[in-house]
Amino acid sequence: MKQTLKILKVAFQAINKNRTRSILTMLGIIIGVAAVIMTISAGEGATMQVQNQISGLGTNLLMIQTKSEHKAGINVRMGKPIYKKDFEILQKNAIYMPNLSPLLAIGAQAIGPDGYKSTMVYGVSYDYFYITSREIQLGSFFSDEDVKTARKFCVIGQTIREELFPGQDPIGKQIRIDKVPFTVVGLLKEEGSGGMGQDMDDIVLAPYTTIQNRIFGNRKRGYNMILASALSEDHIVDAKIEATELLRESHKIKANDEDDFEIMTQIELQEITSNITGILTLLLGAIASISLIVGGIGIMNIMLVSVTERTREIGTRLAIGARESDILTQFLIEAVVLSLAGGVLGVVLGVIGNQIIYKATNFYIPTAAYSILIGFGFATLVGIVFGYFPARKAAKLNPIDALRYE
Amino acid sequence: MPLKKVIETKKISRIFKNGDIEVHALTDIDLVIEEGEFVAIMGASGSGKSTFLNILGCLDQPTSGDYYLDGVHVNKLSKNQLADIRNQKIGFIFQSYNLLSRTTALENVELPLVYDRTGRFSNSKELATKALGEVGLEDRIYHKTNELSGGQQQRVAIARALVNEPALILSDEATGNLDSKTSIEVADLFVRLNNEGKTILMITHEPEIAQFAKRMIYMRDGRILTDEIIKDRSTKESALKDLELTTEPKE
Ligand SMILES: Nc1ncnc2c1ncn2[C@@H]1O[C@H](COP(=O)(O)OP(=O)(O)OP(=O)(O)O)[C@@H](O)[C@H]1O
Ligand SMILES: [Mg+2]
Repeated sequence: MKQTLKILKVAFQAINKNRTRSILTMLGIIIGVAAVIMTISAGEGATMQVQNQISGLGTNLLMIQTKSEHKAGINVRMGKPIYKKDFEILQKNAIYMPNLSPLLAIGAQAIGPDGYKSTMVYGVSYDYFYITSREIQLGSFFSDEDVKTARKFCVIGQTIREELFPGQDPIGKQIRIDKVPFTVVGLLKEEGSGGMGQDMDDIVLAPYTTIQNRIFGNRKRGYNMILASALSEDHIVDAKIEATELLRESHKIKANDEDDFEIMTQIELQEITSNITGILTLLLGAIASISLIVGGIGIMNIMLVSVTERTREIGTRLAIGARESDILTQFLIEAVVLSLAGGVLGVVLGVIGNQIIYKATNFYIPTAAYSILIGFGFATLVGIVFGYFPARKAAKLNPIDALRYE
Repeated sequence: MPLKKVIETKKISRIFKNGDIEVHALTDIDLVIEEGEFVAIMGASGSGKSTFLNILGCLDQPTSGDYYLDGVHVNKLSKNQLADIRNQKIGFIFQSYNLLSRTTALENVELPLVYDRTGRFSNSKELATKALGEVGLEDRIYHKTNELSGGQQQRVAIARALVNEPALILSDEATGNLDSKTSIEVADLFVRLNNEGKTILMITHEPEIAQFAKRMIYMRDGRILTDEIIKDRSTKESALKDLELTTEPKE
C-alpha cells in the first residue's frame, strides 16, 4: 500500500515532467472522443428531427398520388393523373376518411410590398389544416366557402412573412403570385425545418380552386396528390383499402390489373424515412469510426515515439532496484490518468461543440449518451493499451537491455 | 576473523547469441572480492569488463557459472529478489550517468529510496540531500539534470549510488566522459568512500585513475589476465601534481 502511494507520486511526477508528451497524448484522446460524440450526435439529431417532422404531420395521414417509378434517377409518372373527378368520388363515398384535401404544388415567386421570395405555393382545401394539424398564429385559415368560391386568399408561413413583411402585421396585405394578387388572411405558427432540410415555414397556402383557375387556367392538370386523414389511427388500414377500392373504380381498373396509384400512410412514410435516417446514422457512424481510428493512431504514435526514451527510463529504474510491478503500476497509472483526463475533456469539448453548432445553425443536436460511452470508452482504451503494453514489454527486459535500448 | 567475501564467482561465462553468431564475452571467470577492497578493472575495449560488471551488479545473468553476493547464491533468485538486491546492496554508476531527464538532482538521488521495501529509511529527502552533500553538490540540489555539467551529473549519479547505503559500489567508466581534473576528484571520492568501509569495483581505461585503487585486475578476451596489488597508490595531491607536470610546459 505504502509502495503504491510512492509509485502514484512517481507517476504524477512523470506526467508533469514530460508535459509536452502528456499534452499530445491527451490531445489525441480529446479529439477522438469529441469527434465521435459530435458525429454520432449529429446523426441522432437529424433522425430525431425527421421523425418529429413526420409525426407532426399527424399519424392518421394518407397520401394518395399517381404511381411513379424511378428511372435513371428521375421520377416518371406511370399511371393516370389524379383529377378532380377522383377527389369528388372520394369525398362523396369515403367513410373512413372524414377529411380530404387536394394538393396542387407550384414553385413560384411571392412578391410583397417590401420584398419577394421564391417559395412553394400549395393549393389545398380547408381540410388541409385538419389533416396536417398546422396551427394559425395570426388571422385565420380560409374557409370552405372561400375554397368553393375560389377567393384569392392565402395563408403564409413565418419565413415568407419575414421576407415580405419584415416587422409588420401581414394580415389583410396583398401579395402577388404569378401576377395574381392574393390577400393574406392568416399567418402559420412556426414549425421549424423539415427532416430533409426543407423549411416548413417557407410556404404559401391558397384554395386549390383559386390556384387551379387563376394560375393553371385552362391547362388541364392533375393534382400532385390527395391528402386524407383516417377516422383514427386504428382505421388507417380501412381507410387505405377504402381509398384503393374507390380509386380503382374511378380509374376503371380491371380486377387483375395493378393499381395505377399509390397510397402511402403516415406509418409507411415513417418506416421509409427511418430507413433513410438509419443509413445516415450508419454513415455518420462510419465517419466517427474513422475519426476514432485516426485519433487512436495519433495516440499510438505519440506513445510509440516515446518508447525509446521511456525504455531507457525503465532501464534506469530497474537498475536501481525497481521491481517489474513498480514499473507496471507507474505506467498504468500514467496511462489511466492521461486517458481519463483526455476522455473527460473530450466529452466536455464534444458537448460544447454540439452547443456551438446549435447556436450557429439552429440545428438542434442532442448529445447522445451512447456516443459519450463509445467515444470515451474507445479512446481511453487505446490510451491505456498503448501506454501500458510497451512499458510492460520494457519492464520484462533485463535491466541492461532496457538501458541499451535504441 | 576472516574477512567477509562480498563477491565470489565460480566459472562464470557469458555468451551472447545473435542468430548463428556466438560471442563469448566472458569465459570461466573465478574471482573473490572481500569486504573493504577497492579494485580497478582494466583491459582493452571488448575484453568483457562491462559484461562482467553488469553480472556482478545483477543487471544481467551469466550463461553459466555461479555467483555469490554477500553469501547469497544469485543464480537462484527471482526477478523481484534481484531487484531488491540491486536496491539494497549495490550502487551502480554508469559512464552515461543514466539520470532521469527534466528531473532535479534531489529527485534523482531520492529514486532508489522510492523502491526501497525494507522501510529502513524514513526521510528520503534528508538522506538524498546528505548524499548530495557528500559529493559536493549541496548548492545544486534543485537543479535539473540538464542544467548540470557532465562532472556534476556524474556526481549526482554517484550520490544516487550512495544514498541507499550499499555494501558494494560498481562503477563502469564513471570518469570516461570527464576531464582529467574532474576524474581525479571522482577517484578521490571513491578513495574516501572506500576508507569509510565501502567495497568498490571500478572499470577504467585511465591508468592514472586505476592507480587510486588497492588492487588491479586486467582482463583480455573475456578472461582475467593479471590480478595484483597496487603498491604505490595515487592520492589526490600526487595525481594533481603529475597532471600539472604533463600539461604545464608549453613550447
Ligand atoms: N548485448 C550484447 N549482444 C551481443 N554482444 C555483446 C553484447 N554486449 C556485449 N557484447 C560483446 O561482448 C564483448 C565484451 O563487451 P563489453 O562491453 O563487456 O566490453 P568492454 O570490455 O566493456 O569494452 P569497452 O572498454 O569498450 O567498454 C564484445 O565483443 C561485445 O561485442
Ligand atoms: Mg564497457
